[in-house]
Amino acid sequence: MNTAPFLSVAVFATLLVSAPLGQGMESLRPYLPSAEAMPSPTDLSVPAAEPSPAMAAEAKTGPLPPVVRVNVASQSFNFSQPWRKNPPVLRQGLGVVLTDGRILVTAELVNNHTYVELEKPETALKAAAQVEAVDYDANLALLAAPAAEFLQSINGARLDETAAVGDRVEILQLESNGTPVRTPATITTIEVGAYPVDENAFLVFKLSAPLQSRENSFTIPVFKNDCLVGLVMRYDPRSQTADVVPSPVIQHFLDAAGREPYAGFPRAGLTFSDTRDPQLRRFAKLPNGTGGAYITKVLPGSPAEAAGVAVGDVLLRVDGKTIDQDGNYEDPRFGKISLAHYVSTVMQAGQKLPVTVWRDGAEVQLEGTVAPRDRSSMISQPYIFDAPPKFVIVGGLVFSELSRQYLREWGPNWPREAPLHLVYLDRYQSELPDNRGKIVFVSDVLPGPNTVGYENLSHEVVEEVNGRAIKSLADLAAAVDSPTGPFHRIKLAEDPGLVVLDVEGSKAEEERIQRDYRLPSLRQLDGAE
Amino acid sequence: MPTALRSFALLVVAFLTTAAQAAPGPAASMVRISTTAQQPDYSVPWNPGNVGSGVGAGFLIDGKRILTNAHVVSNATFITVVKEGDPTPWEARVLHVAHDCDLAILGVYDERFFEGTKPLQLGGIPALESTVSAYGYPIGGNRLSVTTGVVSRIDFQPYSHSEVDSHLAIQIDAAINPGNSGGPVMQDGKVVGVAFQGFSGAVAQNVGYMIPTPVVRRFLKDVEDGTYDHYMDLAATYFPMLNPAQRAALGVEEPDAGVLIGSVFSIGSSAGKLQPGDVILSVDGLKVYSDGKIDLDGERTEMAEVFERKFKGDQVKLEIMRDGARQSLTLELDRPWPFEMQARSYDKRPRFVLVGGLLFQPLNRDFLNSQKDVDTRLRYFFDYYVTDHLYREYPEVVVLSEILKDPVNTYVAPFKGGIVEKINGQQIRSLQDVAAAFEQPGEFHVIELLGEGRPIVLERSVLAEASERIRQRYGVTTEQNL
Repeated sequence: MNTAPFLSVAVFATLLVSAPLGQGMESLRPYLPSAEAMPSPTDLSVPAAEPSPAMAAEAKTGPLPPVVRVNVASQSFNFSQPWRKNPPVLRQGLGVVLTDGRILVTAELVNNHTYVELEKPETALKAAAQVEAVDYDANLALLAAPAAEFLQSINGARLDETAAVGDRVEILQLESNGTPVRTPATITTIEVGAYPVDENAFLVFKLSAPLQSRENSFTIPVFKNDCLVGLVMRYDPRSQTADVVPSPVIQHFLDAAGREPYAGFPRAGLTFSDTRDPQLRRFAKLPNGTGGAYITKVLPGSPAEAAGVAVGDVLLRVDGKTIDQDGNYEDPRFGKISLAHYVSTVMQAGQKLPVTVWRDGAEVQLEGTVAPRDRSSMISQPYIFDAPPKFVIVGGLVFSELSRQYLREWGPNWPREAPLHLVYLDRYQSELPDNRGKIVFVSDVLPGPNTVGYENLSHEVVEEVNGRAIKSLADLAAAVDSPTGPFHRIKLAEDPGLVVLDVEGSKAEEERIQRDYRLPSLRQLDGAE
Repeated sequence: MPTALRSFALLVVAFLTTAAQAAPGPAASMVRISTTAQQPDYSVPWNPGNVGSGVGAGFLIDGKRILTNAHVVSNATFITVVKEGDPTPWEARVLHVAHDCDLAILGVYDERFFEGTKPLQLGGIPALESTVSAYGYPIGGNRLSVTTGVVSRIDFQPYSHSEVDSHLAIQIDAAINPGNSGGPVMQDGKVVGVAFQGFSGAVAQNVGYMIPTPVVRRFLKDVEDGTYDHYMDLAATYFPMLNPAQRAALGVEEPDAGVLIGSVFSIGSSAGKLQPGDVILSVDGLKVYSDGKIDLDGERTEMAEVFERKFKGDQVKLEIMRDGARQSLTLELDRPWPFEMQARSYDKRPRFVLVGGLLFQPLNRDFLNSQKDVDTRLRYFFDYYVTDHLYREYPEVVVLSEILKDPVNTYVAPFKGGIVEKINGQQIRSLQDVAAAFEQPGEFHVIELLGEGRPIVLERSVLAEASERIRQRYGVTTEQNL
């Protein structure tokens, strides 16, 4: 058996890495003094005579903050035993009520949700809610507006359009009794940075703030003058810095969510390197004193490829914006910001992108149309939520498709602990041939008479089954369904190279396995793309 | 398990031997070996390296030779030997060394050393549960020590000296400690093994290993022509065939015979002869059981033992099943070089090229052991070098291993640890390629690493000056060793 050594708990542990204020800290709450008993600096900003929740509901003194509690039951899938779901967990967060009555949360709060519920802070009135749109790349989700009377007395928040480095903002949390707690914070940095689940980079506001762990630990909103600045997605208690999904990213998400089909965040499909090295500049015949970003990779099928951008080109201007030596442009609001922000967030999918590149000592004008990344063409998905893992069981051998979600079953240190060749294939998938297809491998062996001698198989990549090249689990299922003789011949990329199963024996074994292991099915092919 | 094994010797501090009466029996053949060794420094490869000393055991065999472990005399700069009962240290030298089976033969410059000595004779493989005695100079003294135990197991074991080789080894429960290395293990007046490694730490107790005489004899025979040719290998992987469907599909009718060829290395004994999917039914007429064992000299042992006992250029006859038909094949055996990258090396200076503060080194175990952080790509290239046949494309993997910071390379720092793909347009498949590519004329040197990333550019006009500056500042004594 080669079951991944981590069970369901580890999956959530990885989630908590990107949300350190999550449930791991909630469990510490009983040991902390109650919030009432411990006046924190933040309490000073709250009016001293804060009425009790019941009184607040009746007295309706002043506008209530534009937030509701969002309680989510979620159940993730177990990628090492793909027929199984992990135990359900409960997460709590704050949702921001928008002016149209819809509610904004981080995508992390609602991933793999089985039930989403809204709760009014001051009355604990509850209502079921639907997820209307979700973008895991940008870590944002939108919940449909509840019945009008539910949000009575709550005015929706507008998005902030002015926050800049140095500005004072407020982080909003709620006491367990519904009392708002506003923690002052300062925006220290605005830059393009990593988001939790992918190598995607979007605009990030970094705040300096002393945050306390409270029960609404996912999706903590940040306000400036009652306008939404962003949602906290990470908090490091040691350095007391919070990373925030900021309003420009939220605005783009809301715009995209208003159009069908949801197009998300566009990309150019290239990677670049700085051109600060004077030796590189002279080699590329770049004039001194100018900028330019050195193109190091153009993704196949990307807008950049369609526009004719090539590796070795130096990007000088994009949509009329001059690109400096670090690949930044001058944003009217944020100053020098990576080009990635302009393409992904300022632009909308489908817009034309004129670019000027430096090639062989001369400027070349090119034009492309930015588009979201075609996720289904990726060899290994960076994440899979809300959909079961795909698998196929053949005569006791379990086959899976490589995804980073699978590798995360090895826990937070998966890049060092998961099978190295799979980590390598995932990490460097952009270097594999364009027509590589998905990577199908033996993920487990359920031992039985049919699999004698195969007990030690462990993560060997499948190349061919019954003479057919395997570029997806669907290929494998189809190949198994049409055997060419009395045996299934499974050719592996790694040793032992060839595994043979008896066709009739496998069928009998599959019946036994389904019965003895209580499997709902022997195949799951409708997973996420 | 290999990580739990530790080579003994080289750990015991040297003491002067006091005079004693020449003892009878094995004592008259015993030699205490003191070695001064210099370990190469793979992180700063032009450095001379640390000097250390250690003590091991050895014994006299015929032909005025001393047999000991390779690890007792590895990287030696000066070796002295002392006979039991003779206070004089005599200077010795390595005549032959086999790092793949941890054996070495020493000679002594002064023939008078051999006066009054008695060579020991080699015996056979001792029976399980029979009693053996180990002779050596373990921790805690400079006098001969004798410990006795029984033979616990006879099996293939990893030999920790090279970290990649496995050969027949015999496990005994006599106490074997650092300083026993190279000493004889005796039974009925004959040598039945050479003590060489044990388990250290809390994992096991009374587990010592000795190199059995078939391995010793093979070494002695191999060097008869004056050179050591290394162990031979099939250069193909093979697997037990226990699954009935697998056996039936490949046409193997005998119920308990045959191993499946998984992959065939494109270089070596089997290249062009064996194919993946072949089934080996017999080796030199010996039936191969489906668990990969054969009956040899009355013992059930690994099929590999047949290749183990052969020498470079020897032939081996295989009977195989291919596409349902029996065939006979004859292979000429050769040494398998792709594994050497994963083996530790000894008695060699680190190879490198230094240009403009950029250090280029070949990927191998010694280099990897000297590195603090090793990224996924390098780990993959090392671990899967043989498995995924990376050696076909990369006879040598060259790494940009270090950047000695200087104005000429100040923007190159992030590229540390990358695998070099091209220099000046030429593919880099060996360290020699690096040196040759830098000889190319042109205004710039352009270095491309594997994967995404911009090229590294060095201007030739400033390189000579920079190299001189780097030599001076970093104490670089030589800029390349190929």
